[in-house]
Amino acid sequence: MSQTKQSKVSLGRLISPSRVIVADEYPGKKELIESLVQAVCREYPQLDPAYVASQVLKREEGISTTLDTGLAIPHARLEELTDFAAAMAVLRRPLVSADNELPVRVMFLFLSPAKPVFFQQHLQILSALAETFKPEFIEELVSLPDAREIAARLAR
Amino acid sequence: MKNSSETVSGSSRVKKVVVLTTAMLTFIPFWKAAAVVLCDFGSSAFYAGGIAMRAFGPAFPWYILAVMLFSGLLLMLELEACSLFVRGGAYKIVREGLGDTAAKLAASALIFDFILTGPISAVTAGHYLCGLINSFLEIAGLGIQLPVSVVSVAFGMLVTLYFWRQNVKGIEESSSKSAKIIAFSLAVCFLLAIWSFITIALKGAHMPPTHLNFAPEALGWAGKIDWLQTIGLVGMIMAFGHSVLALSGIETLSQVYREIEYPKAVNLKKAAWLIFGFALLFTGGLTFLSALIIPPDLIATKYNDNLLSGLAMSMAGPDILKLLMQAMIVVCGVAMLSGAVNTSLIGSNALMNRIAEDGILTDWFRKIHRRYGTSYHIIHLIAVVQLAVILLSRGNVYLLGEAYAFGVMWCFVFEVSAIIRLRWKMAAQKRDFMFPLNIKYENYYIPVGLILLCGALLTVALVNLTTKQVATVAGLGFTAFLFAVFSLSERLNAKRANTMFEEGYRERINAETVDDLKQAFSDLDRPHRILVAVKDPENLYHLEEVLSKVNADDTDVIVLYCKPVENVLYRQDMRSAAVDEQEVFTAVIFMAEKYGLPVTPVLVHSNDAYYAMAQAAAVADADEVVMGVSGRHGANPQIERAVMTWGAVKDHELKHPVTLRILWEGREVSYRFTR
Repeated sequence: MSQTKQSKVSLGRLISPSRVIVADEYPGKKELIESLVQAVCREYPQLDPAYVASQVLKREEGISTTLDTGLAIPHARLEELTDFAAAMAVLRRPLVSADNELPVRVMFLFLSPAKPVFFQQHLQILSALAETFKPEFIEELVSLPDAREIAARLAR
Repeated sequence: MKNSSETVSGSSRVKKVVVLTTAMLTFIPFWKAAAVVLCDFGSSAFYAGGIAMRAFGPAFPWYILAVMLFSGLLLMLELEACSLFVRGGAYKIVREGLGDTAAKLAASALIFDFILTGPISAVTAGHYLCGLINSFLEIAGLGIQLPVSVVSVAFGMLVTLYFWRQNVKGIEESSSKSAKIIAFSLAVCFLLAIWSFITIALKGAHMPPTHLNFAPEALGWAGKIDWLQTIGLVGMIMAFGHSVLALSGIETLSQVYREIEYPKAVNLKKAAWLIFGFALLFTGGLTFLSALIIPPDLIATKYNDNLLSGLAMSMAGPDILKLLMQAMIVVCGVAMLSGAVNTSLIGSNALMNRIAEDGILTDWFRKIHRRYGTSYHIIHLIAVVQLAVILLSRGNVYLLGEAYAFGVMWCFVFEVSAIIRLRWKMAAQKRDFMFPLNIKYENYYIPVGLILLCGALLTVALVNLTTKQVATVAGLGFTAFLFAVFSLSERLNAKRANTMFEEGYRERINAETVDDLKQAFSDLDRPHRILVAVKDPENLYHLEEVLSKVNADDTDVIVLYCKPVENVLYRQDMRSAAVDEQEVFTAVIFMAEKYGLPVTPVLVHSNDAYYAMAQAAAVADADEVVMGVSGRHGANPQIERAVMTWGAVKDHELKHPVTLRILWEGREVSYRFTR
């Protein structure tokens, strides 16, 4: 696959307060992913939440998307999208995922256009997310009171 | 125990990364490889002429010269054999081409010659040494002479015992030492040649005759067949057959092939040319000069077992200079001949190990020395047989020479037949070198040259069967005995053999625990680094792609295997790595040898291979990270996980871009980290 020019994608542009879930805890990873999919699909009428959730969960069956920093990045590449979309959950108490028992403090649902031309950017964003959401930053997000402030912090 | 992850990032996931193995594969230039071969092959110059003289008279230099020219054809044969990259030398080539039985026969015959090479070299070295001492005593006018047989047997046994110990300890042949010996030999050869020409100019020379004058024992059973004596060509073949012992050690090329550096095929050809040139000048040239200068009666009596010393002592000039020249020849001879003793032990041990790996020998043979990690039972056996041969020979080089050459000839007959067969069986395999004279027919190259060579070898081997009685009786007896041992052992070992066949050959890997990744890469000094992650020994396409294109002059290749474990015992030094990594690294080493490029194999224990890879790449300051595709997950999820992990591990701006590549047949997914 050929290398395309990388361009920075602002996290603030991807995440608006309506796409941030703040919760003390969540019953399970699957439920949290479904909630985040709902949050994204509200602003993308062309997306079918059930289909998107199934695609994300299918990807989750493969190589883990959870990092030891406390960040999980469930993601999928969708034909229906022409731009990147995302939603985020911040949990006060860590969610322990069944697959590798790593605690999740922040879940960042990330959806990309399926066209190959976007793939390099897709990888760039995944890497940037992992680099940004280090344990200290996650701690800072967890300490913030609500979705608005979390979105504002991301936009900075 | 220092936690390697702490030096890279604050990640908690990778605390259990520990480097277990750092084994730098090193490869040698063509001239060092040639030197290793010549230390064995070139050593025959010290005894071949004298033995041939006793067998068929003063015409011997013509035949030694002919054998040296013939060695060029055999070196070309070895070039094609090596280019097939069937690891394990002649035994594996014969096995591949002609099957198990022929391979066992060829190996049995070759071991017979290996066993004789040691004693003949060690005893000859003793003769040269004793000859020097006696020359000194004679010039000093002390009126005493040391008994040659006693000294040569004693010295031969000492040398054998020394190398027996060295081999049990696992101290390998040093190519640098071989190169020094050959450089010194070349200087001695040059001096001898110059002085010889001066001597010829001053004293004249006697051109060796071409007529053959066989000793009765050299005719063997052929002496009783009257009609044979009427055919001149048969006599020439007989004389040639008595001279082929000058080929002793030529098979070493297939042993050093795996160590030759990139570009392998080109360097192998250069090494073969160097070996041919040196052997022609050193063995062929010096033997010829000896015949020109030393009076024939002295060759037949005094200098039969130390011909080159005779050359030195027959020069024109003061005695003290002649003695000095003889001393130089003795130093050179003792070094080369002792090297040949060592090579015979190494060669026979390696061959027996190859046979054992095929499940033919029982576990007793494969038993590894607890301290040194060597197959000491095999080494003990070979050394004991060699010592017995030295004792039985009573220092008689001619007897040993007469027994020699059975194995090497028949092994070459098997090998050339196997290579002919492989022209059909492995027709599609790319060969960097093909023995000349081929006719292309459809997809095949009909090996006319090889068929002619096979005919020539077979003729000499068959004639030798009738003329070299000692070689025929001892060689056939030993080969039959060893073949019976192999067959019986294989039958007893049948169940185990099946298991081993399934497991395949495994490289013995010396594992060294180091404190952290930084220490594992501390020896790397090239400006660029490529880290290749490996997992499946059957899936090394990506490693091959890297090795086939890398510029080894400015790039270090690190091969990383991550063993997934939950708990790691730190500082647990291991002599050898566990089974699965042995399989992986055996395949890696095989690949590196194929391209003649050094790689740094590193084993890390981690609970996440992607973290281990990212950390290793960061610590090694790699420019490129290369992975193979996973059949289970596919390339895209792999690269997604890899870039995520990279981001999690990364704690500083990159000094240079790093490219992450996933390679599989004809395809690639890549990502370039630029900051």
